[in-house]
Amino acid sequence: MEAKVYQKRLTSTKEFQMIVITDEVKKVVEESGIKNGMCLVVTHHTTTGITVNEALPCVEKDMEITLERLVPKDYPYVHTHMLPTYGTCSHNSPGHMKCMLVGNHCIFPVIDGKLVIGHAQDIYFAEYDGLQQRRYMIEVMGE
Amino acid sequence: MVIDVHTHPLLFNIITESDEVLEYRKNQMGLYLSGRMDIDWDLYLMKDAKIDKTVILGQDYSADDGRILVSNDEIKKVVDYSPEHFIGFASVDPRNENAVDELNRAFDELGLTGLHLNVSRLHIFPDDPRLWPLMEICEKRNKPVIFHSGYSWKPNTPAKYARPILFEDIACAFPNLKMCLSHLGFPWWNEVIMMLMKYPNVYTDTATIYMDTSARYFDQLFTKDMNINWLQNSFADKVMFGSNSPRWRPVRALAGIKELPVREDVLEKIMGGNAMRFLGIKED
Repeated sequence: MEAKVYQKRLTSTKEFQMIVITDEVKKVVEESGIKNGMCLVVTHHTTTGITVNEALPCVEKDMEITLERLVPKDYPYVHTHMLPTYGTCSHNSPGHMKCMLVGNHCIFPVIDGKLVIGHAQDIYFAEYDGLQQRRYMIEVMGE
Repeated sequence: MVIDVHTHPLLFNIITESDEVLEYRKNQMGLYLSGRMDIDWDLYLMKDAKIDKTVILGQDYSADDGRILVSNDEIKKVVDYSPEHFIGFASVDPRNENAVDELNRAFDELGLTGLHLNVSRLHIFPDDPRLWPLMEICEKRNKPVIFHSGYSWKPNTPAKYARPILFEDIACAFPNLKMCLSHLGFPWWNEVIMMLMKYPNVYTDTATIYMDTSARYFDQLFTKDMNINWLQNSFADKVMFGSNSPRWRPVRALAGIKELPVREDVLEKIMGGNAMRFLGIKED
C-alpha cells in the first residue's frame, strides 16, 4: 500500500466560516496516482473542524445557527483565563466545543483514481475561531 | 475613530527576523508558545475589527543585560511600514546614562509620539529621581507617557513598583504631563479612579482583562465592582480602549467594551475619542 500526504493552508476571513474544499481534495486524489483506497482529510487545529454536508446557503446557515445555539458565545466557560504556557488569555472555548461536536476529519473511498463522493456532499473546512491562518492535511492511501 | 492604545509589536516579522531574537522576546514577555506575527496579517485583523489606529510600545530594560527588548528604531520601522495605522511609543531605560539623549533622539530623529515605561520590569519606583529628567522632557514637549501600572503578566515584574498611587508624585510635579496608568492598575483600580478624577492629565486604558471573557470581565469591573455611572459621569473622558495584544485579540477585547451599558457618547470616548486627545491627534 502507498500513502501520499499533502499539506494545505488557508486563511479564514470570518470568526465562523464554512469553507468548501471539495475541489481541492478531488484534485489531490487525482494527482496522487492512487487508483483504489481511501482519502483522509484532517485539520491540524483544535478550534476548527472538517465536516461533510450539502453546500446550500440555507444548510450552511442552519449549521451555524445550530452550533451557536448549542455552544453560546456567552457562557461561564472554564477555558477563560491566562494560560501560563502561552502568556495569552484563553477566550476561544466556544471554538473548542464546536470542534468537539463536529469532529476533526472525514474519510472517503477512492475508486478508479477518483474520490467517491455523493452528488449532494461537499467537504468543509470549518472555522470556529477566526480570523486565522490555518492548515489541514489530505492523505491518500491505497494502491 | 477607534484607537487601541496598548499593544506590543515585538513578534512582528519585520522586526523579528532571526529565531534567536524571537525566542529571546518570547521568554522575556512570557509569550512562550506564541509565534512570529506577519505584520500584513495584523493590519488585516485591524481592518476587520474596524480599529483605525494602534499604539505600539517600545521596551528597553537594557541596563540588565545590555540588550533592548524592542528598540526605538524597531518601533520606527513598524510605524514607517504603515504610518496611517501605527503610532509609535519610544522606550528608554532610566538606569542608563544615555536615557535622556536616547529619548530626545527618539523624538527628534525618529519622530515617535510618546514614551512607554514599565517600572515593574525596571525595578524602580515612580518617585525615582532618574525618571524626573524624562518627565521634564515629555511635559515640555507635550509627549504623552504610558506607564505600566498594577499587575503584569511579564516575568520579573514585581507589582509593588507599579502601584497606581505611587505615580501621584509625578502627577503633582508635572501637572501638564499627559500620562496613562495602564491596565486600570489592576487590582488597584480604585487608586486609578482617584487619580483620574483628581488630575486632569491622568488617563487609563482597558488592557486589564486577566480572566473570564471580555464581556463578563468588563461587566464585573464597571457595573459590579464599581457603579457604571462612576464611569459615565465621573471619568468618561479618561478611559481609553487598549487590548494588550498579543495577550488578547483586539477584536475580542473591543467586543467586551461595546457591550458595556453606557451612553453612546461615552462609548465613543472610550473607543477612540479620549485617545485622540491623549495622543494629540486633536486639540482639547
